[in-house]
Amino acid sequence: MEVDSQKQLQRKQSTYLSLDENFGIQREVYRGQQYSQIYFARLHMMRTLLYSLVPNWKSHLPVCTVLGLEEGKECIIVGTLYKHMKLKPCILDEYSKERSATPLVKPHNFIHQDDYLVLEDESGRVKLGSTMLSPSVYVTGVVVALHGKETTAGDFFVEDILEAGLPPQIERPLKSREDKYVVFVSGLSIGSSSSNPLQFQLLVDHITGHLGDEEEQGLAAEIVYLVIAGNSVDISHRLLNGQNLTSKDQSRLSEPIKELDILLTQIAASLPLDIMPGSSDPANFSLPQQPLNRCLFPGSATYNTFRSCTNPHCFELDSIRFLGTSGQNIDDLTKYSEAEDKLDFLERTLKWRHLAPTAPNTLGCYPFTDRDPFLIDSCPHVYFVGNQEKYETRLLKGLEGQLVRLICIPRFCETGVAVVLNMRNLECHTITFGTQLSS
Amino acid sequence: MATTSKNMKGFYRQKKNKAAGGITKSKSSKSTKNPSLKHAATFGSDITQSPALISHGGSLDLKDDLDEQEQVLRLFDMNMAYGPCLGITRLARWERAQRLGLSPPKEIENLLKGGKVNLECLFDGRV
Repeated sequence: MEVDSQKQLQRKQSTYLSLDENFGIQREVYRGQQYSQIYFARLHMMRTLLYSLVPNWKSHLPVCTVLGLEEGKECIIVGTLYKHMKLKPCILDEYSKERSATPLVKPHNFIHQDDYLVLEDESGRVKLGSTMLSPSVYVTGVVVALHGKETTAGDFFVEDILEAGLPPQIERPLKSREDKYVVFVSGLSIGSSSSNPLQFQLLVDHITGHLGDEEEQGLAAEIVYLVIAGNSVDISHRLLNGQNLTSKDQSRLSEPIKELDILLTQIAASLPLDIMPGSSDPANFSLPQQPLNRCLFPGSATYNTFRSCTNPHCFELDSIRFLGTSGQNIDDLTKYSEAEDKLDFLERTLKWRHLAPTAPNTLGCYPFTDRDPFLIDSCPHVYFVGNQEKYETRLLKGLEGQLVRLICIPRFCETGVAVVLNMRNLECHTITFGTQLSS
Repeated sequence: MATTSKNMKGFYRQKKNKAAGGITKSKSSKSTKNPSLKHAATFGSDITQSPALISHGGSLDLKDDLDEQEQVLRLFDMNMAYGPCLGITRLARWERAQRLGLSPPKEIENLLKGGKVNLECLFDGRV
């Protein structure tokens, strides 16, 4: 095939700015601290914010602490929610004398109608009773302001609730007139039995412009960035049974990573990419997950277009702010709360201004002492979550004119679907790669 | 043999010194007028302090009138407004309070950066 030298297609460029500093733990020193420090930082930051919002909400009511509650007096209290869940797995269940026939842990959701909420601040905690507060919507770790009064029973009867709401957003630059695309993919699971190497190879070929005619290649040239949102490899655990590994087993263990590196090298040679760790990747377990080590990618790490990032990941492309995770935060919310679809969970985390409110309660997290890195103080323009069952997207409009594109990225090994976002108008579409020959 | 000693105490063997602690390692025979804050829980009782409670590698902090500086720092540790004190050095806690806009008193910072004070909170190593 001859290369038409008259029409050289140039890939479009964009300026990149990494905002992952907050998610690094290189400067942290572990001194045996527990999680009270991160909860204090979270409560303090959110409470200061909520105190500034309360006068616009209900200015006539006094604000007091939990211990300062008086029976019958209407007031506003601010604190961290704790949800007492009957079915939440507890380590003590292993020691309970009676073992019922039902398994101790239900796989997908721990909600029960007897769950109740408790509000806690440094001075104390109070059980919440109300007709308007549905425990199935909330999770432990969310900081809210509540309007109500203490009952004779000692509970706090809630009449109204104030969440922090969407954070302020820096306006998108309006002058972008050309179409520039960002491709999101997650759940490649290279090395698993369900992953089809041809599918990902097709994706790589398409993005790098090796497929299709001029028109197709022209479209591919408008792709400026690729984000891989977690679970890129699936390393078989069968070999990790505590025995010493033979050299044959060792090479078998590292094969998925080598395969991934080969494919990433092809991509990195063509366009910049970000790779985030996920729950099945060889990175640390607790959030924030640290970037995958560059030594795992001897081929692709030599390119300056290759970037290994943290999970959660925050960056700016042409002044458009992207924020997203590999899915652990939303999966945890799915287990401990209820919503109509995954996009509702995304919306809630934005309104609560916290990426992972269930951390550290049910989601592993590093015990930070001086800050809570998961607090969202600037509203992103694109908010994504990886490794979900299906592709879903919504454009969320905030009360102060914020505009956020919410994206659920499906698992590529199961669906063959990658998500493409147009940075000019924040519109989303998918590309699907199939390798089934029509029968 | 009858003794003419008015002081019956001399007749009987010496009793253990019931000063704060009950273990008379050092010659401290201070009265229990100002009990050490650390042993406040067992103040007034005859129970000998079990060694586990006083495991500082042997050194007993039996100074009954605590060093004024240490008093001030302990009050800083116990102040709820600055968050939990365990698991964080006093200076780190002060700096965090400063960063979060809580305006902690400057004297504490000077104390911690200057003199020979304990840099860890009062519960450090004991909880």
